[in-house]
Amino acid sequence: MKKLLLFLIAASIVTPVIGDAQQRKTLRKQPARSSVMSGNSREATLRNQLSNALRMAQGGQYESAANALFSLSRRSELSAERPQIKYILGTMLVELKLYQTAAFQFVDVIRMKHPKYSKMAIEKLSVVADTLGDDTILNYAVSRVDLNDFPANLRDMINYRLGEIRLRNRDFAKAAELFSKVSSTSSYYFQALYSKGLAELEANQTSLAIGTFRKMLDARHKAPVTDTNKVAAQMGLARALYQKQDWDLAVEAYSQVPRDTLMWHDAVFEQSWAMLRGARFRSALSNFQTLHSAYYEDFYMPESLLLRSIVYLYICKYDEMEKVLSLFEKTYGPVRAKIGDFLKSTNEAGAFYNELEKAHVMKTTDKSANLRLPYIVLRSVLDQGDVKRSMNYLEKLNQEKRRVESNSSFRASALGQYSLKIIANRSKNTKFAIGDMAKAHLLNMRVELRDLYEQAGFIRYEMITGRKESIKKKIAGKDISGDQIDENVNRKFYIENGYEYYPFQGEYWLDEVGNYHYLGKQSCE
Amino acid sequence: MLKNGFKAALIIVLALMLHKAAFAAEVVNLPTEELAQESVLPVFDKPVSVKNRNVVTQGRFEIDGFYGYAMTEPIANVSKLGLGLYYNSSENHAWGLIVAKNFAGLSSYADQLNQQFQLDFNRAPAPEMTIMGDYNLKAFYGKMSLTKSIVFNTQLYGSLSAGAVKYVHKTYPAVAFGIGQKFYFTKQWAFRFDLRLYAHQAPIPFLNGKLKPNQPVPDYGDFQERVTYTTNLDVGLSYLF
Repeated sequence: MKKLLLFLIAASIVTPVIGDAQQRKTLRKQPARSSVMSGNSREATLRNQLSNALRMAQGGQYESAANALFSLSRRSELSAERPQIKYILGTMLVELKLYQTAAFQFVDVIRMKHPKYSKMAIEKLSVVADTLGDDTILNYAVSRVDLNDFPANLRDMINYRLGEIRLRNRDFAKAAELFSKVSSTSSYYFQALYSKGLAELEANQTSLAIGTFRKMLDARHKAPVTDTNKVAAQMGLARALYQKQDWDLAVEAYSQVPRDTLMWHDAVFEQSWAMLRGARFRSALSNFQTLHSAYYEDFYMPESLLLRSIVYLYICKYDEMEKVLSLFEKTYGPVRAKIGDFLKSTNEAGAFYNELEKAHVMKTTDKSANLRLPYIVLRSVLDQGDVKRSMNYLEKLNQEKRRVESNSSFRASALGQYSLKIIANRSKNTKFAIGDMAKAHLLNMRVELRDLYEQAGFIRYEMITGRKESIKKKIAGKDISGDQIDENVNRKFYIENGYEYYPFQGEYWLDEVGNYHYLGKQSCE
Repeated sequence: MLKNGFKAALIIVLALMLHKAAFAAEVVNLPTEELAQESVLPVFDKPVSVKNRNVVTQGRFEIDGFYGYAMTEPIANVSKLGLGLYYNSSENHAWGLIVAKNFAGLSSYADQLNQQFQLDFNRAPAPEMTIMGDYNLKAFYGKMSLTKSIVFNTQLYGSLSAGAVKYVHKTYPAVAFGIGQKFYFTKQWAFRFDLRLYAHQAPIPFLNGKLKPNQPVPDYGDFQERVTYTTNLDVGLSYLF
């Protein structure tokens, strides 16, 4: 890549010199007028400056070269060379790791529709946008890509990004096809494989998806247990099995998700659904003991409470059911109200972003903040893929800003000021975009909570009916009486096998999370 | 509204179909595949070892009654009884005052010396009382299970004390450090064990030519003094309120 850059710069040095010589020849034929002479000498000086800038670029003096090229790119006398100057300026900025500023140069070149440099700029822009993770630029670049013109080593990235766009547009078959074009040697291979599995699941091709996730697992079998790709593949496999309604295998697949990974929390919740569908109520209730422990007080999981109450309904535990439904209303009633109030009070994206930013600080540091929205809601929004991605992009912009500001001479230069201005603008727009995303998620949450509240109403109705029947049986002497905890468990088996076994007494320990076992008996006749 | 009603109805019908199969066996056999297979911990934003503690000490007082045994005391009676009052400023720190009254008399070793060599150590000054300000650094809160249905919460702490040991004739400044362990058998009550090393100036009970019955009775001031180290084990009950 560097060799290519040097070649381009060398070629660029030669080109203006030839151009200059040709102009000189032409000038000899023209009458010697003073104004023309002075114009020509200015142009000659500029071309000399350009040659110097390109020489500096070739010599690895990227900062000086970038400054010089930036100033030359604004000269009207060099309008013919502008695509070339901007392109090389962009490559200099890439070398300086100022990706956002570089991206703007490449976008300018693409807009100039130069036969040579526009294509090259698309290629560069794709790489820069990929590094930044900026969807807007990425879409802009990728939509202009002609894969045939693209270097083979970058085709995997483009196929992957194009697949992502197709997946977002719900063109699942095309997305899967594009993902499958990513070669196994590419750094995008595992992401592409995972996304292919997702696309297949979305297209309801569960068997294909299972195959894809198994392939990914096989390919990562030598990776550490907590390897992100390996865990994602395991999770994907479990979800595919669930979608296939193979409950037992899904439960088994979810239990293979390692506990010391972030995905484990989702795995426990989703496994509970599989357990419920597989009629493993006791196991589902064991999971709920984990999910509703104090460790999850910051997690937004309204559905899990309703699910727990349904399991209690299955085993006729109406008192427990009542407690869980009350907990649902006590926890999510205020959440619902606050979301509604906030959505009514403001429509500004900035206000939504500010709330998220405060929550982000709370999540990543020990600082507290005054939030208008509940923390569990904001934490959940922060975990959404689109928000996460944009927050990462924002962080990249901040890094770039710090890079500019840490170099005082560059900061003071025209290019430095220009960079800061671009970064500030992009940051502002990204914050607004994140705010809009947050608003969309909040609207979804409000709808979801409204639906769940309705379902809670139905479940409560069933609880009252069940309770009534239970009382009738009690009066008729047909109820199940006696211990509500199964004491027939022989502790010896567990102790002999290296386990500890003791009753839960209200406190939650980090090393116990995930190891609870429900021992209540069913109360149905 | 209709959609949610349908969803709920579907789930409930499913429940009725499934609940018998789910609880076919009355004896619980936990599926072995659901038993812990990993010794790693789940990942949280801000991981803490325990939440919703059974024994909450912060902002609460604690009163202790204990029996003290001086493990390395050769002459004086090795037993004492004491009381302690602590204030827990946080879950990590507690500040208190301990007062202990020594038993009168001599150790069994001193009695032996008296029987064999007619050395009357009742003539030597003995400690009467100890009063110390005590700081506890509560390092580890934990729990242990003894049986299928019994769980104890435990607290391991380090202690640092400063105060005085009063002898019959004189009071000496003293410092002590040690470790302790509490076993909470309810949320308020705990057994408390403290092992402390005391260091203080004290009279040497051995005085040549003054301890036998036929020899003149010495003044307490005749006994030389030196820095004395005594290891103490206190065993008691603690009540948190």
